[in-house]
Amino acid sequence: MKKLLFTLSLFKEYIANYMKTKLTYRADFWVEVASDLLFSAMNLIFIFVVFRHTPALGDWSEAEVVFVYGYFMIPYGLFSAVSNLWNFGDRYIAKGEMDRILTRPAGSLAQVLLENVDPPSIIGSFVGLGILATAWWRLGLPFDWYDPLVLLVMALGSTLVYMGIYITIAALSFYTDAPTGITPLVYNIQNYGRYPIQIYNRTIRFLLTWLLPFAFVGVYPASFFLDNHRNSVMAWLTPAVGLVVCTIGIAVWSHGIKRYRGAGS
Amino acid sequence: MSNSVYSSMPAIEVTRLRKQFNVQRNREGLKGALLDLFKREHTLVTAVKDISFSIPQGEICGYIGENGAGKSTTIKMLTGILVPTSGDIRVNGFVPHRDRERFAREIGVVFGQRSQLWWDIGVIESFRLLRKVYRVDEADFKRRLDELIETLDLGELLNRPVRKLSLGQRMRCELVAALLHQPSILFLDEPTIGLDIIVKTQIREFLRKINREHGTTILLTTHDLQDIDALCSRVIMLDDGHIIYDGGLDELKDRWSKGREIVFQFTDAVSLERVRSLTEGLDVRWTIENEMAAKVWIPREMNVSDVLSKVVSRAEISDIKILETNTDEIVREIYRTGSPEAGEGIRG
Repeated sequence: MKKLLFTLSLFKEYIANYMKTKLTYRADFWVEVASDLLFSAMNLIFIFVVFRHTPALGDWSEAEVVFVYGYFMIPYGLFSAVSNLWNFGDRYIAKGEMDRILTRPAGSLAQVLLENVDPPSIIGSFVGLGILATAWWRLGLPFDWYDPLVLLVMALGSTLVYMGIYITIAALSFYTDAPTGITPLVYNIQNYGRYPIQIYNRTIRFLLTWLLPFAFVGVYPASFFLDNHRNSVMAWLTPAVGLVVCTIGIAVWSHGIKRYRGAGS
Repeated sequence: MSNSVYSSMPAIEVTRLRKQFNVQRNREGLKGALLDLFKREHTLVTAVKDISFSIPQGEICGYIGENGAGKSTTIKMLTGILVPTSGDIRVNGFVPHRDRERFAREIGVVFGQRSQLWWDIGVIESFRLLRKVYRVDEADFKRRLDELIETLDLGELLNRPVRKLSLGQRMRCELVAALLHQPSILFLDEPTIGLDIIVKTQIREFLRKINREHGTTILLTTHDLQDIDALCSRVIMLDDGHIIYDGGLDELKDRWSKGREIVFQFTDAVSLERVRSLTEGLDVRWTIENEMAAKVWIPREMNVSDVLSKVVSRAEISDIKILETNTDEIVREIYRTGSPEAGEGIRG
């Protein structure tokens, strides 16, 4: 508990640090924000284009698919802001920056995450929230007092699912010498999770539910709010799956770090 | 700060420490690459081979050896970065890799080739962030920082981003960063690499000062033997993962120096035959330095004054210079002949 509080206090410091750095490269900052938003806009346009040609996907309407997509953007933004591990293997393992991390009196995973905080990604979460609200209104869904709370719990659970999976993959770099192509592979699979998985075949559904549980970052938690597709069991599994996956990630990391071997001399 | 509590305990205690790496072997050619895809071949490389040593509190110890001898691997195990394959390490009573987070607050680390500082922000911002990471009290931090800034003359650098500092400036900042939390042990891996002579001298003086005033134990690896001459009372020499020498610097010089050298400045031009004739009957070796000067090498067992008196009585001399034993040459000599077997004879 004390350790958690300490890490959270460091979080504040690293964010301040991030801001100071970014203020020296202001153009960079805005380019990053703009490219994030453009990427999301493209995906949305893709959904709209698809629904130009067909009134429904399976039994999902356009507004419902957009709803799921909007939901997905919320945890994805949170995740991107706090666990930017894309170049972990290259930067920290191959180039040996882990040396520096390991000589400091704070958790190694926490430090790596903190050094790479990316607050602008949060903007994506707000845009997602806006898309979700619009879709909500278009679908004429009822609004209960507990909905925002449930949304918060679901979003945090989904964020943990993401973090757990990507921490596990980053930690795999401790076990192999050469950087592997596994990150792009998983990234591609992740993209399937933003659409209703009922439109895929059984193998992919199984994969997205139990192996790389990206369905818990989109359709399952979102289904809680969608009257036509509600699957309460799967929805409420979201926080549990988040905790389990995150625990696995941390365990793989803690085990892997013992195998860290530094780079050169 | 913890010196008094642990005063009877050595700062660093290493017993039969070993580190092995599984190194992946890449087979040649396209066929080899394809085979590697399915089944990789590994070779086990032992970087550190069952070494033992102990360093008391307050000592400055040089850890030397050629590239690949296992110096950095040892330092990385001592600082908790790498987990040893076998053997035991105690640093300030901690097992570094096991108690890593608590242990890290008691040591300072400077790796010459790697920065502790944040690249894009002012140096002082890095220090402030490190203060939080190491949980240093604000008042202690201020006092400590003022002291360090003054001794290392960093005043006007503090607000500059690290990427705009010269190597010498950055290195001085790295030292401050490593010492802000007042560690009782300081590990330095090539602290003077690539620096000019003025900064090197400044850093050496600084290290002596903190060792004297705070009793900080220092373990440093270096390729610059002047660092050793200026700082260390003790050296541990490593070759191929074994310790081949562990003892005082003076003792090392005594045992390994094969002789002394004297440079004579003559009043007239000299030739090799001429100077050789001066010391006829003595087993010495002459070399001509320039037209008017010659250098003579005298074996250890011979008396310097014998040679001096012979030369002075037979030729006009304008100047005499006796050259000190050069650590550099000694170490080079040991590396050349250095093997664990030869090492047995000189182990202190």
